[in-house]
Amino acid sequence: MNAPLSSAPATAPEAWAINVDHVGKTFTLDGGKELKAIDDVDIKIGQGEFVALLGPSGCGKSTILRLVAALEDVSTGRVTVEGSNPTALSRAHRLGVAFQDHALLPWLTIRDNIALPYKVAGRPVDDKRIAELLALVGLSGFEKARPRQLSGGMRQRVSIARALVLKPDVLLLDEPFGALDAVTRRHMNVELQRIWSEQRITTLLVTHSVEEALFLADRVIVMSGRPGRIIKEIQVPFARPRSPDVQRTMEFHHLADELTLALEPEGHH
Amino acid sequence: MKMTAERWQSLTLGIVGIALFLAAWEAIGVNRLAGLTWPPLSAVFQFMFDPTKAQLFIRAMEASFSMVILGYVTGSVVGIALAGLVHVLPVVRPGMDRLASVIHAIPAIALAPLFIVLISREFTGMAIAALNVFFILYVSTTSGLNNSTAGHRDLFQVLGSSRTTRLLRLDLPAALPAVVSGMKYSVPAAFIGAILGEWFGSSRGLGLLMVSAMQNFQIPLLWSAVFIASTASLIVFGLMGLLEQFVYGRYK
Repeated sequence: MNAPLSSAPATAPEAWAINVDHVGKTFTLDGGKELKAIDDVDIKIGQGEFVALLGPSGCGKSTILRLVAALEDVSTGRVTVEGSNPTALSRAHRLGVAFQDHALLPWLTIRDNIALPYKVAGRPVDDKRIAELLALVGLSGFEKARPRQLSGGMRQRVSIARALVLKPDVLLLDEPFGALDAVTRRHMNVELQRIWSEQRITTLLVTHSVEEALFLADRVIVMSGRPGRIIKEIQVPFARPRSPDVQRTMEFHHLADELTLALEPEGHH
Repeated sequence: MKMTAERWQSLTLGIVGIALFLAAWEAIGVNRLAGLTWPPLSAVFQFMFDPTKAQLFIRAMEASFSMVILGYVTGSVVGIALAGLVHVLPVVRPGMDRLASVIHAIPAIALAPLFIVLISREFTGMAIAALNVFFILYVSTTSGLNNSTAGHRDLFQVLGSSRTTRLLRLDLPAALPAVVSGMKYSVPAAFIGAILGEWFGSSRGLGLLMVSAMQNFQIPLLWSAVFIASTASLIVFGLMGLLEQFVYGRYK
């Protein structure tokens, strides 16, 4: 397992798997008006670290994820992933992303949807790996099904399997369970925690759920909105693999309260 | 496809509607309500299925349908190919859009003499059919190729997809429903084009039968030719409708 590379020199920029270096992003609206989505955001994520970006909707946290995924360009500052421009990672097919909307192709079977990254990368499809991932996300036997035949939670699990199939160096999760009901969501978090603990890929999770962030991440970064800024950062002390019982401990509740307070508009002055 | 109560109802209503239509046709003809040029349906059928006329109709159908098919295939291939081209080369898109609409804006009748001079009398119908089909498929394919969702385009970008891979694995499959709809709606257009083209001095075909029957006041022959052409067009249109249903179910 890839333990965090604590031996790497912290001063060299290459030491960070993801380095969001004093980044600002301004969108120009239709009327020519400018909207500052995020301002001077500085996030450093180490190798094999799981960081959750927590904030209210519209605080620019998804924008940060899109900058790291090279889906948007920065206005000020710089983003590097594995020491180079973020586009380099996706071009090398070493990036895994699970979107809020599962983005499965409706005309492909589940197996073919998970095989898509191989096809796009021009690599031979590894059916053993696909079978392994389907088992990991608890969907063995659904190879020939189509996305519309699956429930929302199942589709989301397929999209996570697809994000993992090429063994990416970096995993980006944009509220992957945001559209699910609370019960399914909690269940999916337990599953994701189990899957992640087996692979330990550098991960950035964007979420607005305090419990989700605390249960999954090594570190939680709290953002405030308009323009998005970092207002708090905490290290999550729970050992891995985490059992769902962690969520019932006093320490968990205490940290959850602290984060919830930070999220409240009057919490930070 | 499950046969739900709703489906049965719409099917029954459809059959009842067609039966009423045919009965009205027969009644108007028998009672001469619309004059001599409206024969009863039975008279048309009698004429159409007269064994001595079989050869006449078969030859006309062979001539017309081969032109329909040729025009349909040519128009579809050119329309889809050009739509693919402007999708890959967006610079030429505005020019091609304008050219397609200008061609479409000129009535086919006005172009027919040109085709007679340029190609031949026999292939004028095919050329008009191809032109009609081309426009419908160019428009439906160009719009279809932009049907992929923003989420899917993001996915292909983060997967590090090349433009060609995205075209083949995302844009084209996402365009398929629109393309198949275009193929459905261009069926009648191909029939109209081919039969209309035969009016301009073709030596064979259903269109020729119609013109000569009209000029010689052979009313049952005229109606037979019209009936054959319409039925053929409706059958193909219906089959394309089934294909469309399947494609919409899978690709949307």
